[in-house]
Amino acid sequence: MRQYIVRQLVQLVVVVLGISILSFAILHVIGDPVLLLLPQNAGKDEFERYRKLLGLDQPLVVQYWKFASSAVQGDFGKSWYADIPAFGLVLERMPPTIYLTLAGLLVALLIALPLGILSALKRHSFVDNLCTVLAVGGQAMPIFWLGIMLILVFAVRFRALPASGYGTWQHFVMPAFTLGAFLAPITMRLVRSGVIEVMNMEYIKTARAKGVGERMVVIKHAFRNACIPVITVLGIQFGQLLGGAIVTETVFAWPGVATLTVESIRNQDFPVVQCAVVLLALIIVLVNLVVDLIVGLIDPRIRVGA
Amino acid sequence: MGRAVSLGCVFLLSLGLVAPAPLDAQTKDETIVYALQGDLPNWDPPNSVLRESIILGYNVFDHLATRDLKTGRVIPSLATSWKALDDTTWEVKLRTDVKFHDGQKFAARDVKATFDRVLDEKNKLTARGNHAKIKSIEVVDDHTVRFRTDGPYPLFVERLTAQVMQSEKVIREKGHEWMQENPVGTGPYKLVRWTKKQEHLLVRNDDYWGPKPAFKYVRVRIIPETATQIAELISGGVDVIKAVPPDPMDVFNKSGVARTSTSPILRTAFLQLDQAARSGPNPFTDRRVRQAANLAVDMDAVIKHVLNGLGDRTATGVNPMAFGYDSNLKPYKQDVERAKKLLAEAGYPNGIDIRFRTGPAIVEPGLRQTSDAVVADLAKAGIRTQQNYIGEIGPYVTQVKEGKAGPMFEWSWGYYSVFDADAILYDVFRCGEAYSYYCNKALDDLIHTGRSTLDAKKRTEIYLKAQRLHFEDAAYLYKWGLRGVWGVSNRVDYEAPRDEIDRMFAAKPRKK
Repeated sequence: MRQYIVRQLVQLVVVVLGISILSFAILHVIGDPVLLLLPQNAGKDEFERYRKLLGLDQPLVVQYWKFASSAVQGDFGKSWYADIPAFGLVLERMPPTIYLTLAGLLVALLIALPLGILSALKRHSFVDNLCTVLAVGGQAMPIFWLGIMLILVFAVRFRALPASGYGTWQHFVMPAFTLGAFLAPITMRLVRSGVIEVMNMEYIKTARAKGVGERMVVIKHAFRNACIPVITVLGIQFGQLLGGAIVTETVFAWPGVATLTVESIRNQDFPVVQCAVVLLALIIVLVNLVVDLIVGLIDPRIRVGA
Repeated sequence: MGRAVSLGCVFLLSLGLVAPAPLDAQTKDETIVYALQGDLPNWDPPNSVLRESIILGYNVFDHLATRDLKTGRVIPSLATSWKALDDTTWEVKLRTDVKFHDGQKFAARDVKATFDRVLDEKNKLTARGNHAKIKSIEVVDDHTVRFRTDGPYPLFVERLTAQVMQSEKVIREKGHEWMQENPVGTGPYKLVRWTKKQEHLLVRNDDYWGPKPAFKYVRVRIIPETATQIAELISGGVDVIKAVPPDPMDVFNKSGVARTSTSPILRTAFLQLDQAARSGPNPFTDRRVRQAANLAVDMDAVIKHVLNGLGDRTATGVNPMAFGYDSNLKPYKQDVERAKKLLAEAGYPNGIDIRFRTGPAIVEPGLRQTSDAVVADLAKAGIRTQQNYIGEIGPYVTQVKEGKAGPMFEWSWGYYSVFDADAILYDVFRCGEAYSYYCNKALDDLIHTGRSTLDAKKRTEIYLKAQRLHFEDAAYLYKWGLRGVWGVSNRVDYEAPRDEIDRMFAAKPRKK
């Protein structure tokens, strides 16, 4: 087990390093941030002065080395726009995004689990077909469109919920649902196929033969085993969920790290973008690690090198 | 399963804990809510180039001079009067009844400290470029200051509207870092709270020297998505939004809860033609080809049908609201036959094929649609374009600055809020300037003479000449002066400002 974790941690470092190099390179390809930082009518010497000040006149490799060596000590430099440490800025924005992601996950599970199990148990029935249609529709629906439609209905038409912002539980309803609806279809399909597969297993038949009630069979035996692929996929989907959070946060003016990242990309505020990308990558990789460990706990067969 | 339920409970509880405390007890009637697309980088206006900083700066700070939104003229604010003592010395008299938010009296030393701070290279403030012509500031007495400039500086008074007055005591005692988050102005509102990327809460300054704002509170909400801003306006979540695209105007006006207000703004749009051959030899170095381009397009029809009339046709790049604008100069009228003939005379009887670079519509509403219409008209005269779209504004600007954007590309100019012909001529039409693809010695001379005198009459004559030259030489393909569209809730009285600086202290509750 320990060996397994160590190997995963080494992978984690490699992945985060790779992502930081890639994002660094992309950022520096898209253009000169000084052009956006200074007034349009600033003179040439003013531009040169700023470029030097920000260290942009040095070779890319030197710039990256400077960034990486201080980043490992938790120093991601100062935001060029806000003139305060990027790390603090990103950290401050992290909780709203994490809460939104978790709330979205919760909504997705609340939709996907019951519907998925129901579809599996009543295969090819009307309910199953309806769920399939919903899932396909849900997957095809652009996330920003759903968000705007919800706003139109619940904020503009019925005035039941605030259209945007952050602060009360009402503010959570539409963004969490938007994000949840984005994740629910695929999860539901997975639960369905997982349960169907498990229901045909010998041990289910055994359990039934032993006289275990149908309800117990589904909950205790089938669901637990069907959960394994679902948890794995949720881990992978977590990254996608953060991606979905970018759109959701923008639509609902949610003050999270995703909005911050988008705005910083637009401003070409490199330190903040770098910091956000690296931290998000770290979170995604860690979540995947944790998911692997959980699956290992649930399913003894996967416990590698124990 | 039991564990999952308790985890869920913990999660829900934690949601309650993280939610910030509710806003100060303010009633809806006392509050006006204003939406911005992005947040400020800091609360120190000379340390930011963003429009958001200018706008909020106007609500919390004062300037020596300000703009009368009705006439467009510069009028006194913290200064009571100004005059040029000679070509390089300006004397400014100050009000005596003004206090900063911290209770300190406003005086001449504050003006000096403000400008000294901006002009000091070591402070790296972005506003420095705007005032670099000022050489020194001298305190004559408590309420009189003298500015010395590096040569005649006709834009001096205009630029007084672009510098907030900060306190000498704060600059000296609190310093740069502190000032980034704590504005101490003399303005009609004070900052109560700033929740970054989310909201600012301002409260009325009851000691204000000028007219008191009608609303006690201003809430400034950061809402990046235009569709969400519109939804918030219609559902009563905000009262004023700006930069509304042309399409949803009807939605507002039919909603019964909000309306649109439009105003011409100080920005002109045009297609730059690479007369200076910065991007290499090309047909636009020939004047006849440039004229043909101007003659090919029915720009009035584009404004009327594609922009719903939200544009003011210009004969040159000079905006109708700018000082020196020539209202007698009539823009090119569409004449496809003559355009074809000119092209043939220039040696292109079969027309030309040109790369046409376009970018994202960040400042120009309806850019994509109007661009398509213009391209269709150009093709009728034989100017065939291959559109080349760059989707990010940063790289787009880089291409322009590096001389790679030609031979033809979309451009517009916001004058840096200086209502003067010089503010576009100098940056976009002068030989060798980063944003200029035009070079004409005669025009350069005119621009320089215009800059080196304070005589308004002489300057007007010079700019009239410059515009005629522009027009006859068909320097670029001219489009229009833009109009801005604001969305305003029916519970408030508020007019779209021509300088794009929203003044919440000018808003009033609407009488029912």
